[in-house]
Amino acid sequence: MRAVPVAWSSLLAVLLLGPALGPGYVLSFDMVWVPDLVLRADVLGVGSSLPRAVPSDAVVAVLDEVLPGALLQDLVLLAALVVGGLGVDRLLVPLDLGLAARLAALTLWQWNPYVVERLVLGHWPVLVGYAALPWVLHGASRWRAEGRCPAWLLLVVPLGSLSVSAGLATSLALLVVLAAGRAQVRRLLAAGGLALAGQAPWLVSGLLHAGAAVTDGEGAALFALSDEGLLPAPLAALSVGGVWNAAVVPDSREGVLAVVGLLVLSVLAALGLASLLRGRGTSARALARPLAVLWLVGWALAVLTWAAPGAVHDLSEVLPGAGVLRDGARLLLLCVPLLVLLVALAVDDAARRLRAVPLPAPAVVVLVGALVLLPVTVLPDAALGVAGRLDAVEYPSSYAGARAALQEAAPDGDVLVLPLSSYRAPDWNGGRPVLDPLPRQLVPVPIASDDLVVDDVTVAGEDPRVRDARAALAQPDPASRAAALGRLGIAAVAEDLTAPGPRADVAGEQVWADERLRVVVLPQVEPRSVPTGWVVVMVLAWAAYLGLPTTGLVLALVRRRRGVDRSRGASPTMRGKLSG
Amino acid sequence: MGTILGTVAAMIVGGAVAAVTVVGVVSSQTSPQGDSPANVNAPVVQYGATQ
Repeated sequence: MRAVPVAWSSLLAVLLLGPALGPGYVLSFDMVWVPDLVLRADVLGVGSSLPRAVPSDAVVAVLDEVLPGALLQDLVLLAALVVGGLGVDRLLVPLDLGLAARLAALTLWQWNPYVVERLVLGHWPVLVGYAALPWVLHGASRWRAEGRCPAWLLLVVPLGSLSVSAGLATSLALLVVLAAGRAQVRRLLAAGGLALAGQAPWLVSGLLHAGAAVTDGEGAALFALSDEGLLPAPLAALSVGGVWNAAVVPDSREGVLAVVGLLVLSVLAALGLASLLRGRGTSARALARPLAVLWLVGWALAVLTWAAPGAVHDLSEVLPGAGVLRDGARLLLLCVPLLVLLVALAVDDAARRLRAVPLPAPAVVVLVGALVLLPVTVLPDAALGVAGRLDAVEYPSSYAGARAALQEAAPDGDVLVLPLSSYRAPDWNGGRPVLDPLPRQLVPVPIASDDLVVDDVTVAGEDPRVRDARAALAQPDPASRAAALGRLGIAAVAEDLTAPGPRADVAGEQVWADERLRVVVLPQVEPRSVPTGWVVVMVLAWAAYLGLPTTGLVLALVRRRRGVDRSRGASPTMRGKLSG
Repeated sequence: MGTILGTVAAMIVGGAVAAVTVVGVVSSQTSPQGDSPANVNAPVVQYGATQ
């Protein structure tokens, strides 16, 4: 029976990703994978920009030394769906649900607007956090019940914290479960320490950049929870949709199917709640309580960005780091576990009742199958790479050539990426918008625009060096621009000739040029070094982060060893009990 | 009689859900994509557009 959820979860994941699993790279909005990301200063959190991709980029930079980048991306995307689905199946084990309910829960977890919209928007670290969420909930529940932290939780927490918002969700889930019921202060403190260590890289790096960590308030209204088709924003959030960007919303969410989906979900959730209140046992209620808290936090924060964008605007302009809340729908991942639990209970009840009705087995299977399949029915265009929005492509050879040429020139400084705009829509990517992949392709630390343009409104980025570079480019001639950039520690300029956006000629030695890219090495540069204090504190932060899986591994080995020793010292009867 | 009616009803409901799902998946793959908000002729490529 264990094989069925694994097979169903894998089938759903492959059906959803479709062409994205082909050879090459899936480049969609914020999702940029390259053949070989270098473990450089900005990836480690000591660049000049806010740590938006810390620690996810560092983890990728290490892993792509072992596996090719394209294969690694496929594995991560597949695992983000399958591991999460199986985590939900594991989370629901104490409820003793039938197979139909387990498969319905798994389908809803993997096939919903949140997953689809975040996938197209390229928020893969958030989806990894989403996959870790049921495991965090399960691990924290076991910790609370058994009084000791499962060793594997020390691996799951850092994996679930690859980005700021994923890390916040992971930490919240951990603490809410452990705080439920009669909480022990020591256990809560230990969980807090675990959560902090898991967030250390982005948290410490964010504190180092605190001066630049206040964000442009313009983004508050643009990135707020949004209406979706016929559904007003709060209702869209109930069905875990409502992403700000219309370009990533599947067509089925714009019409009647979204309303039908919400109605079906609401009915099933209500039936599941009734089943829970009627007497599903203490284990179901114990699980439901923290999930209800998480649902409330996720939905309330999302709706807050829609109802009070002014408050979010003001907060993000004065409070460093508050900008993380502006993408209102992103924290809706906290709502999914409760929905999945309630739907599973409702489907379980329905399946039991159907079996009691004098119907032939095939008819029961068809009806139960229809219940399991409902998330796919109301969101059919999620299939096959969200109806072709996700596809794998190969990089033109220009990127490898420009990287090699710049590496050979070995300039002693950073590289400015032009034009000074964040997004590209290259023809070789089917015209799909994507964050400029050039900075991740290159070896030196890139200085690239972090402005975001939405609805023709520019949300200003935070990197002070980009502002300085823009001022340097405003110099009257190529030679003075090169000199001004050199004084900023910029030793080269890499330019995407096919992309629109602000640019200017700069004097220097051209080391690469073709129809797509041009790389110029500047004549003089004043190299900048990372402050020693920054290096020291970031080393400590990374040590805390990496210490978690290391400690988890040691703990697992020690516990296993103790278990073996105890088992050897026990009588045959006791040995059986211990192994059970 | 009730069993037969129940079976027929089950087949209709299940068949309808299956048919809607398959038709939805297939038609979503064949219908033309909506215009992307990105426009290479614009001064810059936009991150997106709100709804």
